[in-house]
Amino acid sequence: MFAVTTLIAVSFSIGSFRIEEAERPFLYSVLLWIILTFSALSGLARSFVKEEEAGTIDVLKLSARPQAVFLGKLLFNLTLLGALELMIVPSFILLMSYQISFPGFFIAVIISGGLGLGAGTTIIAAMIARASTRGALFSALSLPLLLPLMITCIKGCERAAIGISSAGWPEVKIAVAYFVIMITMSLLLFPLVWEE
Amino acid sequence: MIYKILLTVWMAIIIVAAFLYAEAATGFPGETSRILFFHVPQAWVATLSFLISMIASAVYLAKRRVKADYLAQSAAELGFLFCILATITGSIFAKTTWGAFWNWDPRQTSIVILLMIYGAYFAVRSAVNDPDRRRVFAGVYSILAFVTVPFLVFVVPRITTSLHPENTMNPAHPGMDPKTLKVFLGSLFAYTGLFVWMLRLKIRVLTIEGLREPKFMSRKPDNE
Repeated sequence: MFAVTTLIAVSFSIGSFRIEEAERPFLYSVLLWIILTFSALSGLARSFVKEEEAGTIDVLKLSARPQAVFLGKLLFNLTLLGALELMIVPSFILLMSYQISFPGFFIAVIISGGLGLGAGTTIIAAMIARASTRGALFSALSLPLLLPLMITCIKGCERAAIGISSAGWPEVKIAVAYFVIMITMSLLLFPLVWEE
Repeated sequence: MIYKILLTVWMAIIIVAAFLYAEAATGFPGETSRILFFHVPQAWVATLSFLISMIASAVYLAKRRVKADYLAQSAAELGFLFCILATITGSIFAKTTWGAFWNWDPRQTSIVILLMIYGAYFAVRSAVNDPDRRRVFAGVYSILAFVTVPFLVFVVPRITTSLHPENTMNPAHPGMDPKTLKVFLGSLFAYTGLFVWMLRLKIRVLTIEGLREPKFMSRKPDNE
């Protein structure tokens, strides 16, 4: 809902001809990632809070290994992000008439950015479920960790839109490396958070 | 006590020497290069304390010694202070040499992210009520944040090239004036000494506060 509202607000107030041709690829990729990140954050924050509120968290602790719980939640979050991107990105491109020179590179940046977003925030969601102030804390904790990823993805989308030669897809590599490192660290650290 | 007096005298000598003994480096407007003696050691201490905080957090998570957590928390708080000082002195220098207090130079970008990480670390600490859980969460967050920092090295240089003076002011650079080098190393030493002194004070404060913590709140460490 948040995603659709911001998307409509942005496209209504900016339209597709308000911004000059030369500025478009850069500003559009910034806008796209702002919409994606913030709508993702509002959804992902709930993943562990739900268990805590329903009281199912204790049973889950008894019946499953922490790594299994973490990977399950991660998979759920990644599915959620995938659905979100599938909905937002095509409608953003249509509404804003966003022209992309390298569609393959663009899609790869969007997918790898989504993976990184999910991997970086799942363990934070587990932490805030046990804290006293939940809503605001999630964004406050996630954003510093996500900033390098966001800068990378904005840069990647801009390059894909303009069509600067992108041999080796460096932005995708960085995002995938981020994904792998965050998952490795989370798997190591998650049992500590889970059993506390 | 003797440490405190020696440190005060040493810092006073360094401040006088920074303005009177060392000569201003060429290639910078007026006397602006003297900021080297204050800004760089502050940035160094900020980075050092970030590292100390991360290592102490890892030690706490492995061994569950409260002392390690006191060290992590103290280092983070002092690091935040020095980080703010380095940001302010840096942007004063930026104003006089580059013309604006802020222009998203790579160094400025990375220090903002460092400030954000410290801010988030304090947010974790203030949001959790149970002391043991607070320590574990803060430790976990500290390590996660530390892991993302290297990505800035890949990301940031792609945005712009840095205006930050590297070679002219780098102590490893052979072109550095010997007088400047002497004062610079002295200042680095003074700031590190100041940091250690403040760190010990802060740990003592936390230890005393820890003694007043109600006993029923603290649990035995879980042995997995």
